Amino acid sequence: MAVKNAVYRRVYVWEFPVRLYHWVNAICVALLIVTGYLIGKPIAIEYGNEAYQQYWFGTVRFIHFVSAFIFFFNFLVRIYWGFVGNTYARWQNFIPWKKSQWHEIKEILKVDILQRDVGERISIGHNSLAGLVYFLTFLVFLFQAFTGFALYSSMSSSFFPQLFSWVVPFMGGDFAVRQWHHMFMWFFIVFAIIHVYLVFYHDYVEGRGTTSSMVGGWKFEREEDL
Amino acid sequence: MSKTPSFREQIERSGVSRRDFLRFCSYAAALIGLDAAGIPKVVQAFEKKPRPPAIWLHFQECTCCSESFIRSSHPIVADIILNQISLDYTQTLQAPAGEAAEKSKTDTMKNYYGKYVLLVEGAVPMKDDGVYCTIGGRSAIDILKEAAEGAALIIAWGSCASNGCIQAANPNPTKATPVHEILDKPVINVPGCPPIADVMSAVITHFLVFGRLPELDGQGRPKEFYSRRVHDTCYRRPYYDAGLFVESFDDEKARKGYCLYKMGCRGPVTYNACAVTKWNAGTSYPIQSGHGCLGCSENNFWDNGPFYRHLASFPGFGIETTADTIGTVVGVGALAGVAAHAITTNIRKRKLINKHIEESANNEKNKGEGE
Amino acid sequence: MARLVVDPITRIEGHLRIEAVVENGVIKDAYSSGTMVRGFELILKGRDPRDAWAFTERACGVCTTVHALASVRTVEDALNIKVPKNAELIRNLMFCTQLVQDHVVHFYHLHALDWVDVVSALKANPNDTSRIAKSISNWPKSSPKYFRDVQNRLKAFVESGQLGIFANGYWGHPAYQLPPEVNLLAVTHYLEMLEWQKELVKIHAIFGGKNPHPNYLVGGVPLSINLNEVNALNSERLNFVKKLIDDAIQIVEQVYIPDLIAVAGFYKDWAKWGGGLRNYLSYGDLPTRGYSQVDSFKFPRGVVLDRNLNEVHEVNVRDAEEIKEYISHSWYSYSGGDDVGLHPWEGETEFNFTGPKPPFKQLNVDGKYSWLKTPRWKGKAMEVGPLSRMLVAYASGNKEVQEVVNDTLKQLDVPVGVLFSTLGRTAARGLETKLVVHWMKGFYNDLIANIKNGDTKTFNDEKWDPDTWPKEAQGVGMTEAPRGALAHWIRIKDKKIENYQLVVPSTWNASPRDANNQRSAYEAALIGTPVANVDQPVEILRTIHSFDPCIACAVH
Ligand code: HEM
Ligand code: HEM
Ligand code: NFV
Ligand code: SF4
Ligand code: SF4
Ligand code: F3S
Ligand SMILES: [Mg+2]
Repeated sequence: MAVKNAVYRRVYVWEFPVRLYHWVNAICVALLIVTGYLIGKPIAIEYGNEAYQQYWFGTVRFIHFVSAFIFFFNFLVRIYWGFVGNTYARWQNFIPWKKSQWHEIKEILKVDILQRDVGERISIGHNSLAGLVYFLTFLVFLFQAFTGFALYSSMSSSFFPQLFSWVVPFMGGDFAVRQWHHMFMWFFIVFAIIHVYLVFYHDYVEGRGTTSSMVGGWKFEREEDL
Repeated sequence: MSKTPSFREQIERSGVSRRDFLRFCSYAAALIGLDAAGIPKVVQAFEKKPRPPAIWLHFQECTCCSESFIRSSHPIVADIILNQISLDYTQTLQAPAGEAAEKSKTDTMKNYYGKYVLLVEGAVPMKDDGVYCTIGGRSAIDILKEAAEGAALIIAWGSCASNGCIQAANPNPTKATPVHEILDKPVINVPGCPPIADVMSAVITHFLVFGRLPELDGQGRPKEFYSRRVHDTCYRRPYYDAGLFVESFDDEKARKGYCLYKMGCRGPVTYNACAVTKWNAGTSYPIQSGHGCLGCSENNFWDNGPFYRHLASFPGFGIETTADTIGTVVGVGALAGVAAHAITTNIRKRKLINKHIEESANNEKNKGEGE
Repeated sequence: MARLVVDPITRIEGHLRIEAVVENGVIKDAYSSGTMVRGFELILKGRDPRDAWAFTERACGVCTTVHALASVRTVEDALNIKVPKNAELIRNLMFCTQLVQDHVVHFYHLHALDWVDVVSALKANPNDTSRIAKSISNWPKSSPKYFRDVQNRLKAFVESGQLGIFANGYWGHPAYQLPPEVNLLAVTHYLEMLEWQKELVKIHAIFGGKNPHPNYLVGGVPLSINLNEVNALNSERLNFVKKLIDDAIQIVEQVYIPDLIAVAGFYKDWAKWGGGLRNYLSYGDLPTRGYSQVDSFKFPRGVVLDRNLNEVHEVNVRDAEEIKEYISHSWYSYSGGDDVGLHPWEGETEFNFTGPKPPFKQLNVDGKYSWLKTPRWKGKAMEVGPLSRMLVAYASGNKEVQEVVNDTLKQLDVPVGVLFSTLGRTAARGLETKLVVHWMKGFYNDLIANIKNGDTKTFNDEKWDPDTWPKEAQGVGMTEAPRGALAHWIRIKDKKIENYQLVVPSTWNASPRDANNQRSAYEAALIGTPVANVDQPVEILRTIHSFDPCIACAVH
């Protein structure tokens, strides 16, 4: 059987701001999950220190809040980049406007869930399914930031968190806000598991360097598909 | 004994200017919907009458708001009802009963139309024409609307009147409803189950002493008492920051008075003055006596249980099921799914891999040929 | 035949309506209706049993804590939890605090105006009031000047033309029989006790964080004891409790009891009316060796039937045949038909309003006419409350109770029979307060002694974790609330409340008729009561108030 020559070309998909955003975000989210979980369920300290000798819970909360601010402004940068970045970074990739995007979603579902072979060409940036999921994820980022800053608004009189104080009565009180904020932590955990796996999986089945693309910015595309 | 000073004289004696007094009167007039021309009437009302008349209504309640009120220590309650206001109607304390009692109310509503203070304790059942609460054969809805019409000022006492409280807890069998949702007039909400006695008397006397209403927040609560979380002013807060928590009632840490967060304390999500003003003339407050805050001044707090965990059960599952239980199940499920997926991929994708290997070998070869 | 309607009955807790048939100035028949319902038994379903105390406590803010106590005992019974000695003593102290404060407030602020003519006090000679005060008590606040000051305040108040809570009272009614000087004494103490009642309840704030509605805990009490810690029950807190108890003893002995006896002396007529039922029930309370040791209770448990003080019958609240609730005349329906009675473990709560649409003038008393269910013991209507407690204790041969009752009867120069009346009920309340305030000091001393012995445990955590619970359990918890025998029944399934039923003192007393048309205590007591002027039914208030109604409790 004659094997066709597949010639791959490098394509610069993830510009530096996108890569920076991605890793800052990943680190913040990881910190927010760990510290958030601890805030929700503090570990029992079994030694006899008195209050003045330690501040670990305050530190955990401090890390949560610092990561929260970085997470949020980092995210704002990404929103901006969606308007000015390269084609792969733009918003149209995230919302399936076009029929072809819906078609690709179906194809990807076949690849991911039914484990079919990759038949047709997959977009070089985000595939349409990934784009859609990231879009929903962005909405959850917003939700988590709004509920988080709403909770923070009662702890801080500075102007920025105060912008979110209306969220509290809107959601029916601090208790409800906290409850939702806590529940959505699990979204992030589950997203991270599936996301990381799928990155490796697609790298594997597509063979186009998906994983390393978020480091160096390059992906590989068959010459004929370019 | 000298003549009892009029309300205006009283407030002027306490250093309130005529201008402030007029401002209060115009606010009261605005509340009852009088235009500028009507303001002099309100001014007259408070200038002539020694004590502002008050009507205290009782609906779906446990009367603990009244009980709390009579615990007021500064001022003591006798001073309020003998010298500061004229409490013309309150079923808990008034001398007459039946029609004679109702007369006390109708007299005040008629003679002081637009000039009396309406104090409401209890929620109002809105289901089935209000048959779940009647007084003198009339429904609570009816009585409230009638009394609200001529009220210059309406105060909703306690969580019952300001957010529905226990009778409004799921499944709210009588459709118990807070006052502000029924009336289209501004209502001052003084939540708490019950509110602190000295907070109640301060809310009443605030406008007598300063000639104006206390500033309110977006939920109609006086900022003076409801702008801080219990947690922000709790004396156990250092233990919270230090991460020193009670793990079980009466354990070593409870005996040291550590933070009650892990026992379900709702202080971090509850706005009330308990930790500062304290209860019963500063004697204590729930946390000082070893029990977490139940969040009794927050909307819906009965349905935010169970109480001995700082977050509620996950809606729709058993009371032992939290967001973490569900999250752990979903998280472990995702991990297992991913692992299974990885295994089947490796089995089913033999062909694909072989193809990739071939492809890359081919490329290697072509590379050599091209040289 | 005129139907006299009194609605609202005031100076009580809750929404009570009395319809009475008056003939020739005497009540021939009466109907008692509770007109407000909240649905606690429906709201409790599906919740964590450990939270139930907080819910049930909100049944009533006047007898606050008693439902919380009944509730934690109910859950402890179901799960077989024993509470530590200190917790038992602290609960007893909270119980006593409630009873004493509630009774004093009832006497001065809810009941007194039925007997005391405020306006007549204006005519009093303060010198004579002072003389009377000194002759009945050592209470230091008794100078002529003190009473004159109060009288002047009262005068200024009346002259202001704004009578507030006293407006439209039945002043000058011929049924008022106190001389002006005694009226002035009572009005003075009305104000004094209004100020004092808020002091005693600080004991609730110390142990439970606040009053009304202090905190309770299944398995013990929330506050830990630690004599080396400012942040726990320490010697300062204990001293505070001691001071409040000592003050209470003085108040009860030097103010409440002397006033009660002075006023009662002018109203001996009221020993003829208001007796009503002939059966009395008490669950007993104030354990001294654990709640399972009923013989250790300060208030004994039992039933007196047909006013026979020579015999006490046993009560078993678990027996499906003893206590049952009926709804033949109540706005509920039962799945098995409206004429059956249900034991609370099988109890059902389903609203079924059949009354007239508001606004209405009169209830249809042949049908359903109240939101209270009707409890019965072995089919019999029972009175509960201070009188029942005193009678059951008297009949049980309790020396302390016999002594205080006999002494008082002697002082007033009346026979035992007067107890079965409006006056007897009001007197019994005072007498038990006198006993309780001393018992309280005893519990305090026991607590100190126990701590001294090194026992500081306040909570039993063995069954705290729901994973340690059986799949199904049922329990019952009892107490003696100020108004009488209170019990809660629970069924727990899968760690949740499956069924929760409250049968409350005022449910016993204020309920409508049962399936056999037997009257409950209020209705029975009103029969034969005179009414001089139907527009000023002060006599109805006297008898009804002698029960100290709490309708929010009764309906829940
Ligand atoms: C990935 C994003 C985030 C995750 C997973 C996360 C997770 C959590 C969790 C689990 C808690 C504990 C809730 C509880 O059980 O009571 C928490 C608390 C909190 N979070 Fe976040 N959070 C995130 C983002 C944010 C952001 C953006 C803010 C903004 C300021 C924020 C502010 C807070 C605050 C104020 C609290 C309450 C801390 C306290 O009261 O001590 N969080 N978070
Ligand atoms: C080892 C860890 C991770 C690797 C290797 C990785 C890799 C990648 C890659 C390759 C993409 C581009 C995917 C595509 O081609 O469609 C991507 C996108 C993305 N990843 Fe990750 N990721 C990791 C962890 C995370 C974490 C923890 C988060 C946080 C929740 C996250 C959030 C995102 C988001 C939001 C995007 C969309 C980026 C954008 O277009 O702006 N990643 N990631
Ligand atoms: N009845 C009644 Fe209560 C009492 N005492 C409760 O159990 O009053 Ni509110
Ligand atoms: S708010 Fe609470 S305390 Fe006030 S009447 Fe309602 S249940 Fe009682
Ligand atoms: S006890 Fe409650 S209110 Fe106080 S610091 Fe701890 S969590 Fe906050
Ligand atoms: S339960 Fe209520 S009394 Fe204060 S401490 Fe919490 S708001
Ligand atoms: Mg019941």
